[in-house]
Amino acid sequence: MIEIKKVSKWFGDFQVLADVDEVVQRGQKVVICGPSGSGKSTLLRCINGLEPYQRGEILVDGVSLSDPKTNLYKLREKIGMVFQRFELYPHLTVMRNITLAPMKVRKQSRPAAEKKAMALLERVGIPDKAAAYPANLSGGQQQRVAIARALAMEPDCMMFDEPTSALDPEMIQEVLEVMIGLAKDGMTMLVVTHEMGFAREVADEIIFMDAGRIVERGSGDEFFKHPKSQRTKDFLGQILK
Amino acid sequence: MFDAVFTNLPYLLGGFLTNVQLAAFALAGGLFLGALVGLGRISKRPWVYHPVTVYVNFLRNIPLILVIFWVYFVMPIFTGRSMDPFISAAVSFVVFEATYFGEIFRAGFQTISRDLVSAAYSTGLTYRQTATYILVPIAFRRMLPSLITQSIITFQDTSLAYVIGLQEMVRRTTIVDSIEVRSIQLYSFVAILFFVICFIGSRISLHYEEKSRKAKVL
Repeated sequence: MIEIKKVSKWFGDFQVLADVDEVVQRGQKVVICGPSGSGKSTLLRCINGLEPYQRGEILVDGVSLSDPKTNLYKLREKIGMVFQRFELYPHLTVMRNITLAPMKVRKQSRPAAEKKAMALLERVGIPDKAAAYPANLSGGQQQRVAIARALAMEPDCMMFDEPTSALDPEMIQEVLEVMIGLAKDGMTMLVVTHEMGFAREVADEIIFMDAGRIVERGSGDEFFKHPKSQRTKDFLGQILK
Repeated sequence: MFDAVFTNLPYLLGGFLTNVQLAAFALAGGLFLGALVGLGRISKRPWVYHPVTVYVNFLRNIPLILVIFWVYFVMPIFTGRSMDPFISAAVSFVVFEATYFGEIFRAGFQTISRDLVSAAYSTGLTYRQTATYILVPIAFRRMLPSLITQSIITFQDTSLAYVIGLQEMVRRTTIVDSIEVRSIQLYSFVAILFFVICFIGSRISLHYEEKSRKAKVL
């Protein structure tokens, strides 16, 4: 459902993405790892049309993101996104955070949107927090609300940008469990993370990026057991220590 | 000792009502236009950013009284008919205050992280929806103390409309004074009235500042 063809992107003179090629099939789970500054987050932002790219092509369901005729807003409804620092709307309750887009974009009625939101809160395990404000939730709870907010638009694909790296260690598991649940339900997923346990459990493919390039890719086992490049070996050695 | 004030109280308070009405228009229009100006000031589109920036910098560097004169005397040349002082003053205030409110909103928008905006877009919200439901409400709440302070200044400035003959309280006080010749009590009364209103306003502003510091909600 996502095709990335030879995409390159520059911030001024600095090249953040260099000839990135990737195809994500429907239902596939792809984990992207690599050192910070390697272009992982930028790649996700490009896929959601949040950043332009200068060369190459990204197609979502066959529609090009760089075509000026493409309605990016419409396309973004298909892809949900979860961020490192949760990014819940601080002035709205958990319930309103989740129902805003369904009500404004999909024009759902409030009761319908709220019913759906409650079901999603059940799914992420915090139905009792509907009336709370984000500031009164723990990091793990906020991230689960963020996942529910993205799911409320019934996306075909979910992208996660280091969803657990801003969390205290004891909260990482609760978020990962929600993500594993999603994976088991067949969601197409693109996940930037350093949680290698998660990667091993759900990933159909693991991509290692460095300096804007895809250095290595492989299925879960193959990637961990037989990394090909020295750069990947060094990186894995670092984070699996 | 406030005899001249009491005999002319309805007349003076009628003038005060004009100040209040003018301030109400100025605030409603100034906040609305100010929010748009603030959005323009953070826009990445040059054809939005540059005109708005020129407008803001120009008006912030000329005295309000000049804007009032300009609208009152110059606008009729373009529109072909003379301006009602109240409408003319209201237009001046909206156009002028919007630049100050706009800069406050801009500061508020700049406290909002790029990823929060991305999160809104990623759920399919349009720019307009994101501005309406996310950017403006958050900036408004975060900047509330500054907005209240600027509102107080706006309220005080409404008395400047007397220069184009608007029958607001200061104007009416000069009229009463020219008949009664009781300058001290008359102008003291006006001062007290303005002081009370503005002092209450600044207390409210302080209250919100404390509240947001304690709550840390935003």
